[in-house]
Amino acid sequence: MKPNRIRLVALLVTCWCAASGFAWAASNASAGMVVIAGGVFKPMFRSPTDIKEVPVKPFCLDVLPVTNEEFLGFVRANPRWQRSNVKRLFADESYLKNWAGDLALGTNSAPDSPVTFVSWFSAKAFAQWKGKRLPTVAEWELTAAAGTTRSDGENDPEFKRALLAWYTSPTEGLAKAGAGRTNFWGVHDLHGLVWEWVTDFNTAMVTGDARGDTGLDRQLFCGAGSQSARDVTDYAAFMRYGFRSSLKADYCVHNLGFRCAKDL
Amino acid sequence: MKTFRLQFITATLLLVSALSLQAGCCMTNKVSSCCAKSDTAATPFSDKSLYQTESKWATDTTKQITLGDLKGRPQVVAMFFTSCQYACPIIVNDLKRIEAALKPDLRAQIGFTLVTFDTHRDTPEVLAGYRATRSLPEKTWTLLRGESDDVLELAALLGVKYKEDANGQFAHSNIITVLNAHGEIVHQQIGLGGDISETVRELEKLLTN
Repeated sequence: MKPNRIRLVALLVTCWCAASGFAWAASNASAGMVVIAGGVFKPMFRSPTDIKEVPVKPFCLDVLPVTNEEFLGFVRANPRWQRSNVKRLFADESYLKNWAGDLALGTNSAPDSPVTFVSWFSAKAFAQWKGKRLPTVAEWELTAAAGTTRSDGENDPEFKRALLAWYTSPTEGLAKAGAGRTNFWGVHDLHGLVWEWVTDFNTAMVTGDARGDTGLDRQLFCGAGSQSARDVTDYAAFMRYGFRSSLKADYCVHNLGFRCAKDL
Repeated sequence: MKTFRLQFITATLLLVSALSLQAGCCMTNKVSSCCAKSDTAATPFSDKSLYQTESKWATDTTKQITLGDLKGRPQVVAMFFTSCQYACPIIVNDLKRIEAALKPDLRAQIGFTLVTFDTHRDTPEVLAGYRATRSLPEKTWTLLRGESDDVLELAALLGVKYKEDANGQFAHSNIITVLNAHGEIVHQQIGLGGDISETVRELEKLLTN
């Protein structure tokens, strides 16, 4: 390879980057989103009457979880969502409590780290403000099921080991969004950074079922769970289901953030 | 050079495909009408009032209301669906037991509101049929049908979880909620066919204070 050729290639690549940067800026409505091809989500827990396969249409998903800085932009534009203004109905006392003030992040929350201490209502309001929405459980799980190189991470032992490593290690401060590897779809941080709100978190699992089918709770937390779970080795999915089922929409938690989705 | 060129072409293809995917995303930039409004509207309700919500609901008597229209008297609220065979008849029966246990002079001052999970099948007409079958008086009982997103939000506010199964039935938690005249949750009764005396006491307290 001759030096001048290298230079030529380098120049071309530079042009490309500039051009693509321009294109990204032009499509600002969806900058930072990728298309997830859709597919079939198979719920982890099912009773005999549950839907076995949930079809998921192609949709757009944020590459990164929403950061403190982005959320700051939201509360600046929507004063009713500032810490001292928010209605208690929509966010508990912990709302944005790691921030220094209504419009100040402070030292405990880096601008490019995922925003946490946000309620479902506030996440939903942010998404609407952006012209987006929260992903559904099915959409989130389908995307998160991908490994780094294939859409079916469940057949990738390496992916599963990496996942478990996160679930078994304590969180010490939040890394910045996007530091982790992207998965097959080009999405960052679905695992390994924070838990994320989904729009139908309160339909993910029912405990105290209407028809006396209260077994789900027991099935989740006891060994018997393995009998009704689709994939007994997917311990991380057990964790997510357990976590979602324990949430209430006004909860603001230190390791719970969100990202947005959008119809294609 | 060959490998380099190959990488170069691959990179190009990746870039182009990434950009075209991007373009797909930005075609639809729908802004939900609810959020545009919600940031300017100041409601007269308190921080904890469910009546701050702006969702629209259809009654079985063909009216369009917001939850705030229920203000002015305590409400006993439950979520249900009309084709429910097991739990909902018991929940509705629990509400009727509460109504019957109230002192007659207080009875007319309390509202009972049933909200359906089944946005597809429980049309206002179906709800009207349910009212007739179950003899639910129009003066005090309100039956509501909303869009699925609004049902999800109300369920979240009430702490009710639900899930549609393959047969179109809904598994759901059984919670009866007492709202005061301003729409704040003051009491919740969890479970089916239980002791209603505490709920009745709470209601009487609201009216005598």
